[in-house]
Amino acid sequence: MPDTDTGRTSPSYNSATSEASLGSAVSADSSPTPTGTLLKADTLVRHFGGVAAVDGCSFEISRNTITGLIGPNGAGKTTTVNLISGAIRPGSGHVIFDGDDVTGFAPHRLAAKGLIRTFQISREYKSMTVLENLMASPRNQAGEKLFNVFFRSGAYKAEERRHLERSLEVLDDFGLYAKRNDYAGNLSGGQKRLLELARAVMAEPKLLLLDEPMAGINPALVDKVTEHIIAMRDTLGVTFLVVEHNLEVVERMCDHVIAMALGSTLATGTMAQLRANQAVVTAYLTGGEA
Amino acid sequence: MGVFWGYVATLAVYFCIYNIFAFGLNIQFGYAGILDFTVITFMAIGGYFAGVAVLGPAQRGTEIYYIFGWSLPWPVALVIGAVAAGLLGFVIGLIALRRLRSDYLAIVTLASGSIVYGIINNDNKIFDGGAGLVGVSQPFGSHISTNPNTYSEFFLIICFVLMVGCWLFANRLYSSPLGRAMRAIREDVDVAEAYGKNSFKIRMTAMVIGCMMVGIGGALTIAYVTALSPAGWTTGETFVIWAALIVGGRGNNWGAVVGSFLVAVLFNEATRFLPNIPGHPNMISDIRNMAIGGLVILTLWFREQGVIPERKAKFMEIPLRATRAKPGLLAVSASGSDNA
Ligand SMILES: Nc1ncnc2c1ncn2[C@@H]1O[C@H](COP(=O)(O)OP(=O)(O)OP(=O)(O)O)[C@@H](O)[C@H]1O
Ligand SMILES: [Mg+2]
Repeated sequence: MPDTDTGRTSPSYNSATSEASLGSAVSADSSPTPTGTLLKADTLVRHFGGVAAVDGCSFEISRNTITGLIGPNGAGKTTTVNLISGAIRPGSGHVIFDGDDVTGFAPHRLAAKGLIRTFQISREYKSMTVLENLMASPRNQAGEKLFNVFFRSGAYKAEERRHLERSLEVLDDFGLYAKRNDYAGNLSGGQKRLLELARAVMAEPKLLLLDEPMAGINPALVDKVTEHIIAMRDTLGVTFLVVEHNLEVVERMCDHVIAMALGSTLATGTMAQLRANQAVVTAYLTGGEA
Repeated sequence: MGVFWGYVATLAVYFCIYNIFAFGLNIQFGYAGILDFTVITFMAIGGYFAGVAVLGPAQRGTEIYYIFGWSLPWPVALVIGAVAAGLLGFVIGLIALRRLRSDYLAIVTLASGSIVYGIINNDNKIFDGGAGLVGVSQPFGSHISTNPNTYSEFFLIICFVLMVGCWLFANRLYSSPLGRAMRAIREDVDVAEAYGKNSFKIRMTAMVIGCMMVGIGGALTIAYVTALSPAGWTTGETFVIWAALIVGGRGNNWGAVVGSFLVAVLFNEATRFLPNIPGHPNMISDIRNMAIGGLVILTLWFREQGVIPERKAKFMEIPLRATRAKPGLLAVSASGSDNA
């Protein structure tokens, strides 16, 4: 791979097969590795009634990095993810993605531009199979156009086959291959978290927002998910914003960390820097009220 | 041909028409999760528009008024009926599908249906108000023997052909990536949006296609019965179509067929041929509605997915090793050059 030589390590994941299987279209536009800002949140504000859930939150995310978003419960992390991904509109402030002002765009328009998010609680398509969950995820499918379905099925047959092969490989990578024909609703909690990530791989995002991808999964699986995320950055060139409470994981995985409290950015830096930051430590102990 | 076969043909005609209704509702609800609580309105619009397209101009001095009166051949009228139902579906969809939450959608469809009903029932200039359209000539009626039993058998062929057409269309849609996107939206609209599905556009597609199918069913109904009035499409009729889909199995067109047979033919139509009990003129239809209601409750209680539940999607079995063995596969979609 031309663009993986960034000096990072992906623990126990950089085997030849995973490199080959995860190397895909995204790295095509990112060769050589582009640098600079992929996403900029500019003084975002969002109130819910009297609650200022997000109150002047600003940060930047560099391409090809994993950025952590930490902060006590109720700090406004999920709301920030919702604002960036278009699920809700900001009261004021701007979101700049890939050079364009995308403030207030509907989620599907942002997704079309390569910004994909996952949810804090697993939200698989329950009564569809695991494989179908993946097949539904690629963006801009030719077979989703009514005209093609009835008059030009040739326009998507090959694409469909390609997505199927890719889905099976991704399921294999995530250890879900044996479950491919099970209903997604019947997976275990941890498997559902893996499915969320596997779906995201199928969408070939530029920026992936993960809201607590490790919530409620066992330590061994935490390591596995961490490895998957790092591998996706290294081999697919995906940029991440990860909301996470497990600070050890954040330290291991994130190039850069943003600490939030009471709706605004408190500090940014590496995890080691933030550990030494008195304001961040206090916020974690007191919820930011101090 | 005897009376018996005429009777069977009549039931078969209703069976085909209800199948078409159920396919249409299945596309809306079973595929895309749209709670269309006014299905029967689209049947009526399809029927009325096909009717006024077939009828000649309304005669002065007869106290019968309706729009159009174009004396068009029946196949053209069928298309007009379907398009009119689709257009109404589009307009209602513009209001109902903007909001993502499905409970809004249910209320909006119900309210829109009531408005349409009120207008058509009260304004006697559109489709002759409460009296409705009468004397709509049957398709190719003049070419076929006037014996009603023979005509039923002929009409059954038309219905069957159209039903098969709708069946093929619906199944093709279901197994396409578009159908898959519809189901994804049904399962979780926020997630589907987050994955780039334009939920408004895709649900609108399902809404309009479903309405057009139901409209085709309506055009067949008025062609067969030769009349249509507001008394024939009350909210209760929407319930019958819903009952058919819920009992049969939503998300599965075979379920729609089984449900149409059980609910719409066995329970609904067949009981109409039972003798009336003197002194209780509404007894039969009340018993019928109670029976259908009971059947729906039993289904939801004991077999929530319906008699024939939605099938698991089947994909071609590609051995994993085969795709893994192809080193070029991902390299091609990737950098394409120095990656392989
Ligand atoms: N839809 C809403 N309506 C009203 N208040 C809301 C809404 N969403 C969030 N809030 C409030 O905004 C604040 C921030 O919530 P948010 O979910 O963003 O926190 P969070 O940082 O993700 O917390 P956690 O770590 O517990 O997931 C909280 O006080 C919450 O109660
Ligand atoms: Mg949260």
